[in-house]
Amino acid sequence: MIRQTLARAYLALILIFLYAPIIVMAVMSLNASQFYALPFEFSTRWYERLFTNREILSAAWRSVWIALVVATIATTLGTMAALALWRHDFPGKRILQTLLFPPIAIPWLITGTAMLIFFFGIGIGRGTPAVILGHVALALPYVIVTVTARTASFDRALDEAARSLGARPFTIARRVTLPHAAPGIVAGALFAFAVSFDQFVVSYFLAQPGDTTLPVLIYTAIRKGFTPEINAVSTIIIVVSMALMILAARYARFGGTK
Amino acid sequence: MKTILTTSALALIAPMALADEIRVLNWQGYGTDLDWAIAAFTEATGHTVVHDYFNSEQEMLTKLRTNPGAFDVVLINSAFTPQAQGEGLLAPIDAAKVPNLADIDPALATNQDLNPGGALYGVPWTWGLTSMAVSTVDFPDGPPNSLDVFWDPEFKGRVSIRDDALEAVQFAALASGRNINDIGIDDLDAIKAELTDLMPQIATFWSAETDWNQNMAAGQFAVATYWSGSAARSISEGLPVEFVVPVEGAIGWLDGLSIPASSTKQDAAHAFIDWMIDPEFYVRWETEGAPATSNTAAAAALPEDSFNRKVLGDPEVVARVQFMRPVADETREAYLALWQELKAAQ
Amino acid sequence: MTGAERLRALGHLAPAYLWLTLAVFLPLSAMAFFSLLTDVPFGTREWSFTFRNYADALTNPTYATLLWKSVRLAFWVTLWCLILGFPCAWVLARMLQGRTREALFLLVILPFWSNSLVRIFSWAIVLRGNGVLDQAAGSILPGVRLNLMFSESAIIIGLVHSYLPYVILTCYLSLQAIDETLIEAARSLGARWPRILWRLVLPLALPGLIAGAVLVFVPVVGSFMEPRLLGGRVGTTYGTLIEDQFIAVFNWPLGAALSFILLAVVLVILAAASPALRKAAA
Repeated sequence: MIRQTLARAYLALILIFLYAPIIVMAVMSLNASQFYALPFEFSTRWYERLFTNREILSAAWRSVWIALVVATIATTLGTMAALALWRHDFPGKRILQTLLFPPIAIPWLITGTAMLIFFFGIGIGRGTPAVILGHVALALPYVIVTVTARTASFDRALDEAARSLGARPFTIARRVTLPHAAPGIVAGALFAFAVSFDQFVVSYFLAQPGDTTLPVLIYTAIRKGFTPEINAVSTIIIVVSMALMILAARYARFGGTK
Repeated sequence: MKTILTTSALALIAPMALADEIRVLNWQGYGTDLDWAIAAFTEATGHTVVHDYFNSEQEMLTKLRTNPGAFDVVLINSAFTPQAQGEGLLAPIDAAKVPNLADIDPALATNQDLNPGGALYGVPWTWGLTSMAVSTVDFPDGPPNSLDVFWDPEFKGRVSIRDDALEAVQFAALASGRNINDIGIDDLDAIKAELTDLMPQIATFWSAETDWNQNMAAGQFAVATYWSGSAARSISEGLPVEFVVPVEGAIGWLDGLSIPASSTKQDAAHAFIDWMIDPEFYVRWETEGAPATSNTAAAAALPEDSFNRKVLGDPEVVARVQFMRPVADETREAYLALWQELKAAQ
Repeated sequence: MTGAERLRALGHLAPAYLWLTLAVFLPLSAMAFFSLLTDVPFGTREWSFTFRNYADALTNPTYATLLWKSVRLAFWVTLWCLILGFPCAWVLARMLQGRTREALFLLVILPFWSNSLVRIFSWAIVLRGNGVLDQAAGSILPGVRLNLMFSESAIIIGLVHSYLPYVILTCYLSLQAIDETLIEAARSLGARWPRILWRLVLPLALPGLIAGAVLVFVPVVGSFMEPRLLGGRVGTTYGTLIEDQFIAVFNWPLGAALSFILLAVVLVILAAASPALRKAAA
């Protein structure tokens, strides 16, 4: 059918657009020139240097596990809040929804500086707990907005019907609400992970100098001139993520049931 | 038995009690954090070194102001030393603890900005020039010798200067034959006109070595401003560029190593500074691309064909250099307003 | 609401909002406080209360120009994301099933996990003279040079690329929840596709579209890194102004004032757009 072919072609084009810089990034990690100059000359030296570069490896690893912690916390708290906002109407609900905007509207530079001063003032200071504190706060609005996008399409009537039938709240949650919201929750978790993993400004201010994260390392390397080792580590991360995602797709269903 | 254990325990602890961990605040990748340098220092003195970095001088000042006791050695550009000292952030340098000071170029050691109030607050460490670098591909017959090339219509869209209000204003001042440290109100209008004419020539503003190198390598720039130390590094890594000090001169900068007043490990800090100005450290650092040294003994120890010796060792060149002096906060903000206005109009 | 319900709602909302209060709202209040001062209260600095920062921010023509530029940029980026993203979400949600769909859903998110700075530099390699596009075009049509770098187009391409997955995903979430039977019913009643799309699908997908638009528009207005790297000379934005107050000079009060003005503008735009959106959804 023509429509099917057109649809697939369109999807393919979009994927090409989304992956163009990723592919370039991966190809450049195998390019000999340290100035990213073309023509292309194959070399694996950046990967070799990467494996002896303890700094990048530990920063990458730290970014990953911080992002995992942040995604878990933010998804849990955010989903609870989003579901409560969906299920109930109450005075002040509009204000609560508006309050989600400052973290994403205000440039992270301001929020980061503000966090730095405030955390220093109240004794939290810098360090990994401060980083996690900051990241979760920045990820929460994304989770809440995403889950809300999903829950907006359900009928509260279903929820009320279940309750009037005598089901307990926890059961309703488990068997009705959460399965419906699942795709939104998963998307929210993925956003939260991405926000934390790529977060530079807040990490820059709140991380201890020795325990830095990957985006901070990359950004501060700009001054000296960063080398394709950074492409190498980014490519490895993408490849590993892709592998994990393929595994997840094989064994989990979260595309959502109707 | 007990006595032996106690004595050996004491023997172990004693050197550790004398060994400090010092924290150094500097630009990333700017000499003090070289692995081999730190290893050599730790081996010689027992002190360990931990680094924190900044990405702008304002950030450096902020860190000093808001983190008393957190740093023991800090790199401060001489144009900022008087301000830091005026705020009470710095401790005077004890020359007795820095023996290599004796070899420092007297002109630099007595630099008025490093000696606010008559005492030495920053040990002269490195200096360099902000001048121009050209792509040898675009200038096969040799580089131009005047800043006029930046305004040459032949290179429209292939010129670059750094995205920094102060540097832009001083660059235009230099190109029009003015004193970069003494820019009056009328001069500012003329400078604005110069920069307005420069804008259409510019491809982009570079902000760090990375984008400078990548854009040069990709042929996006024909001529751009650059720092001497960074140029040395790029050239040594094979980038086809040449560093030029034109007839109008260049902007000079002097970096000093200072000790925060709140530091609790000033002895170790002095020792580290002494190592940083040591010829043995410098000569090896220079092979990897470094700015010029303020230590005359170290400079004399450089090989004949080294970049710094060739470019910066020429007294005629040095005579054309205008060193940056401190700039008042209000002046900085005035320059910034001008620069923002120019950029917004693009 | 019953008492028990109220308690439950509070219990669900409290953790997230308490976290936000501690980590964001209180620090931002400190910043708001700074914006009303002449200087930051550190150490020996003298400070006093003033509205001068806001007055300066609101009357300076440079700031107004850049604010407009940033809003315009955000508008275009959001529009492109919606135009490109919605059909993509449609295809994913309604034309594919099962494993294929889930695999593609994940593939769309994956670029998100690459570092944004590396991505931008990679775009530079694609778009610049002697870059990937230029060399590709030159090999097909000799003599053609293509240098898209340092232009507004480059900025939009880079930003659309960074933010497109948000729109695709949020639209996917809404579209996928639409009951198939509704559409079948409409078709059996004789409605043609354009009509179904306009009167049935779009209103039901609106929450996703709005969520996506918000997640794109809001951050882009304040962006400065991508515009600078990809736009070069024309890449100065309102965000650059804010950054300058922290990096080039030590004027946090002005930086804070500029940020809160930005926040106010964003909220005003969203408030102005919401009645229009609510009407469309009715």
